[in-house]
Amino acid sequence: MLKTEPKAPVKSWRSHLFAAAGFVFVIVFVAFVLLLIIADIFYIDSKAVLTVLTSRFIRHALWMSIWTSIMTVLLSLIFAIPIGFILSRFRFRGRFLVDTVVDLPIIFPPLVAGLTLLVFFSQTGFGKWIQEDLGIEFVFQPKGIVLCQFLVSASFAIRSAKTAFDDVDRRFENVALTLGCSQWGSFGRVSLPLAANGIIAGGILTWARAFGLFGPLIIFVGSFRGRTEVLSTTVFLEQSIGNLEVALAVALLMIVVALIALTIIHLVGGTVQVKL
Amino acid sequence: MIRAVRLSFSIGDFRLDQFNLEVAHGQYFVMLGPPGSGKTILLECLCGLARIASGQIYIDGKDVTNLEPRTRGIGYVPQDYALFPNLSVERNIGFGLRVRGYSRQVITSKVMQAAEMLGIVHLLKRSIYGLSGGEKQRVALARALVMQPKVLLLDEPVCALDEATRQDICAQLHSVQRQLGLTTIHVSHNLEETFSVADRAGILYQGNLQQVGSMNQLLREPRNEFVAHFMRCRNIFSGEVMAVKPADGSQPASTKFRAGGVDLVVPGKHKGQIKFIIRPENILLSGNPESGSVDNKLQVKLVRSRDCGNYIRIELNGPLNLVAHLSHAAFADLAAKPQSDLIAVLHPENIHVLPE
Repeated sequence: MLKTEPKAPVKSWRSHLFAAAGFVFVIVFVAFVLLLIIADIFYIDSKAVLTVLTSRFIRHALWMSIWTSIMTVLLSLIFAIPIGFILSRFRFRGRFLVDTVVDLPIIFPPLVAGLTLLVFFSQTGFGKWIQEDLGIEFVFQPKGIVLCQFLVSASFAIRSAKTAFDDVDRRFENVALTLGCSQWGSFGRVSLPLAANGIIAGGILTWARAFGLFGPLIIFVGSFRGRTEVLSTTVFLEQSIGNLEVALAVALLMIVVALIALTIIHLVGGTVQVKL
Repeated sequence: MIRAVRLSFSIGDFRLDQFNLEVAHGQYFVMLGPPGSGKTILLECLCGLARIASGQIYIDGKDVTNLEPRTRGIGYVPQDYALFPNLSVERNIGFGLRVRGYSRQVITSKVMQAAEMLGIVHLLKRSIYGLSGGEKQRVALARALVMQPKVLLLDEPVCALDEATRQDICAQLHSVQRQLGLTTIHVSHNLEETFSVADRAGILYQGNLQQVGSMNQLLREPRNEFVAHFMRCRNIFSGEVMAVKPADGSQPASTKFRAGGVDLVVPGKHKGQIKFIIRPENILLSGNPESGSVDNKLQVKLVRSRDCGNYIRIELNGPLNLVAHLSHAAFADLAAKPQSDLIAVLHPENIHVLPE
């Protein structure tokens, strides 16, 4: 009886060499990252781990990191989906400018983003009006963490959403229109489900960027223990007072949280069947 | 019934200008044309996916020009079918019904009805991935038909299929269309496909409708050189009228003209410079110089012959360089070889003078 094997082209030794060369880079990169983590693990001691697990402030920072980054992802997706769709589907005057501005926060040095937010809310009339007259305070406030993370990471979500909508063939939308959908219906029943994977990928990037953000937070919201401290600023605070072991233990905690979150997203993302 | 009146539309260098078309109730109309002639754009204008600059579109007498695609009562099957890849076959077919808010029982029953009509019941639970081209085509058709449209628009529905499947699908399209009495516009560039389904056909070129008629009319009486060429007639020549003989009692009027140095006769009255065609299957070949009528006999030499499956294609050199199609039996009887001298007989009624 014939054995069934996966389809693969006939390969000469040159082709094997080609694949081997690629794998060399894979191995070097993965090994480099793993070695760094292993080095951290060996550097910390049980006392540092205990400190991290029992510290009220670090627990608070962990909670702040998680909820602010989740809020940032939700807020980013709320903006990213319509902006991505508009940039993908509509040709309008000034589109190039909008496209460029959307990407601008990606190339902002993170510190500049924090500084810009600080200047806007503390030095301009409009910023002061929002803070003082409307009473929505951002500077040195937990809400500021979300705003800061949103500014720096929403571009990833928007860019991913645009690419995802670009990949949805317009003929699907056209057919939906002839089958009874309005423009809204076609978007909700066809475009959005078909772009969902790309949008989720953008959400993951946004979350990763937001979760690890440090520079602009220090400038815009500071790092007040029990109030605006997040894990990334905890690392900075601990290492600045000489607690290198604790700083590294917190960094490892961040890696563990990120791994758990990414695993959950991959598992859920891989099994979700989008129904129209 | 669908009627387009003086439609105008332009995109880039392409334009439909003052375009008129009428397809009667229950008629199967095929719009033929080479790639880039505007067939797809025309369908998109008719179903409201492309906004026209001016003109009117009527469906069953109702002006739908400014209606959204969803309210026009049109079923549309685009090229490559555009089946939703994240839905099963069943959910693809029932998509429009769910949008319209039908109950689950009604959806199930209508989907089953459409699937039975097209013979795809066994596919209902399958994913779109892994379906063959013919199966996808049937699913896309079921998805459009389940909405009970007034007009069905098919954009190159079988162009990506192999020959055998194409014939099956065309037969099925024709039978379903007859069964439902559905007004249908089918876009294609393939003549065999058109012959198998069309009640009437039109030829579109650069946004202009060149001719509308039965396939026989398009084949035998093309209006201009483009139509003749598109209908695969290679024997297109120019001539100059020498004399016109008016009708006298039993004899109808005829025109004598000169082409390639020989005099030919054609029925009817013509004047000045003319262009004419001779269908390759209407050329009679003989090895006997005495055969045929006195008029329209040409001495030709066989250059080469090629077996095209259903017929033998023969290239002839002579006063007019002709291409003739002969059946295998007729070619065997002729017993001609390359460089054989032959007589080509062109019956006057088989010479068609192009009106344009």
